[in-house]
Amino acid sequence: MTYDASAREERGAVAESASDRTFWGRLSSWAPYQWLATFATASPRRQFLILAVFPILWVLTQHLGPMLQMLRVSLTDAYPVAPGVEQHFTFDNYLSFFGDSIFWMPFFRTLIFAGVFTFCTLIITYPVAYFLARHVSPKNRMLLLLLLLIPFWVGEIVRTYAIMILLGNTGAVNMVLRFFGLIDRPIPFMYTSFSMGVGIVYLTALYMLLPLYSSLEKLPKSMNEAAADLGAGAWTRFRRITLPMTLEGISSGCTLVFLISTGFYATPVLLGGPSTTVFAETIAGFFHVAGDQWPTGAAFAVIMFLAALAITAAFQRLMTALRKGDTK
Amino acid sequence: MTRHNRILLSCVYWAFVAYVFVPLILMVLMGFKDSNFIGFPIRSWTLDWYTGVFADTETLAAFGYSVAIAVLSTVFSVIVGTWIAVLLEGRKFWGRAAIFGMTVLPALIPGIISAIAFRIYARYLGIEPGMGAIVWSHAVHNVPFVVLVVMARLSTLPKSQIEAARDLGADPLIAFLRITFPYLVPAIMGASIFCLLLSFDDFVRSFFLGGYEPTLPVLIFAKLKSGMSPEINAIATVALVLTAVIGVWAERFTRRMNKDS
Repeated sequence: MTYDASAREERGAVAESASDRTFWGRLSSWAPYQWLATFATASPRRQFLILAVFPILWVLTQHLGPMLQMLRVSLTDAYPVAPGVEQHFTFDNYLSFFGDSIFWMPFFRTLIFAGVFTFCTLIITYPVAYFLARHVSPKNRMLLLLLLLIPFWVGEIVRTYAIMILLGNTGAVNMVLRFFGLIDRPIPFMYTSFSMGVGIVYLTALYMLLPLYSSLEKLPKSMNEAAADLGAGAWTRFRRITLPMTLEGISSGCTLVFLISTGFYATPVLLGGPSTTVFAETIAGFFHVAGDQWPTGAAFAVIMFLAALAITAAFQRLMTALRKGDTK
Repeated sequence: MTRHNRILLSCVYWAFVAYVFVPLILMVLMGFKDSNFIGFPIRSWTLDWYTGVFADTETLAAFGYSVAIAVLSTVFSVIVGTWIAVLLEGRKFWGRAAIFGMTVLPALIPGIISAIAFRIYARYLGIEPGMGAIVWSHAVHNVPFVVLVVMARLSTLPKSQIEAARDLGADPLIAFLRITFPYLVPAIMGASIFCLLLSFDDFVRSFFLGGYEPTLPVLIFAKLKSGMSPEINAIATVALVLTAVIGVWAERFTRRMNKDS
């Protein structure tokens, strides 16, 4: 190891004390540095504080701060505050959500869409992950997984556009169907919940695939073999062993995909139509028009976030309960 | 029975590969179409759309703008993320779980909500919409990924090496710079490239925090809203090739680095 050599070199430096040829030796014998080092390491407590102050301030002000500020703005009647106008505390922004179906319809639509798309992603990627983890030799596994990763490096907008080309009226799917004489006129896939679903599953599949793959990979083959020896059929083995043992991967994959799919903005705008307006578009509307709508937009974003969190929390509880029930 | 399963499953796998690749391949092909109209079949081919991309100052400017934002935000994310990871890994202190929770928070917030929260907070901090605001939002959003990658690497660092360095007279900072940091380099490289790509591909934050100058995804979005054209295919293809090549290279690079040490 190279570390040993350099460490020995350093011991030499310490033995010769002050003068040394290496950069590190010179640095540690430089007076201002020595003063700083003694100051910083005077006690373990001080050393810890110097290490900890910046990260703690960062996460409080930069990670938590924006969310708290959004919450605060959502409880006011005017933001940004115009000169000469007084800001008041109010719940009106939250109440207006329930007042109009133009607001809560997209909200429930988003949650239902996200749930359905998450389920579709799970159904589509589970066999793929299963195949990779159980039927491919470890040598080829990485190669086949890497192959799937390539498209996922490509951005959200570019992949959404690719789906537009695939599903358009003059798109590839319609062309193939027409070529085989299955249809006379193009099927209008675009601007429906179907095209949106294809797009969102396309964008989120990897976030489902990777957790599933890692939980399937951990599953020992011997369990399935033992079950087979005891006379369990393929379906029973899957239902009684594989599925319960991979609930953890299913749970984290679904949580991730659900949270991500509630947050899409560009994809529903480009692939969806008037009948598929999602809540992200409603929220965005408050920020593109006059500034005094910001509090309402903030309130809606808070509602959306809390709902998404509540659903994922409930889902995870359910999964934990299922897991406990199975290992009993 | 297992044989059948195996064949069936491999069909599912290749169908999935087709699902993720075919749309992109079609998009690339459409950029070669010698017509203004997007749609199949493609009867005549041209390179004009691609040469057009490299002559179009608007696209090139957006491209440069995106790259600059990606590089700057990655520098911030990596420094802050590594610092947080060093604090959190292998240390027990009061409030550690809370700090970890707050650290990963930006990665869990759905896109639109995160963009709105950053928009409001930028206003609160007095940052004007534009490059500074975008860099800041990307930097904050990408920190959790750096922290997780660096923490994973840090947990495999043999403690004895640090102890040896300390015994030989290195102070904690020198021990960090000479032992811990070189050990973390593969993780930091991997995390940097991940951050670069996340930032380069990001739409929603750039859209809500941007000024008049568009980043590349925002430019493509704006063009798409006014109609599809092979020109967009050419622009998107250039972005696609760049991100995919960097992504694959990074994947191989980190794998090799991890194997070596």
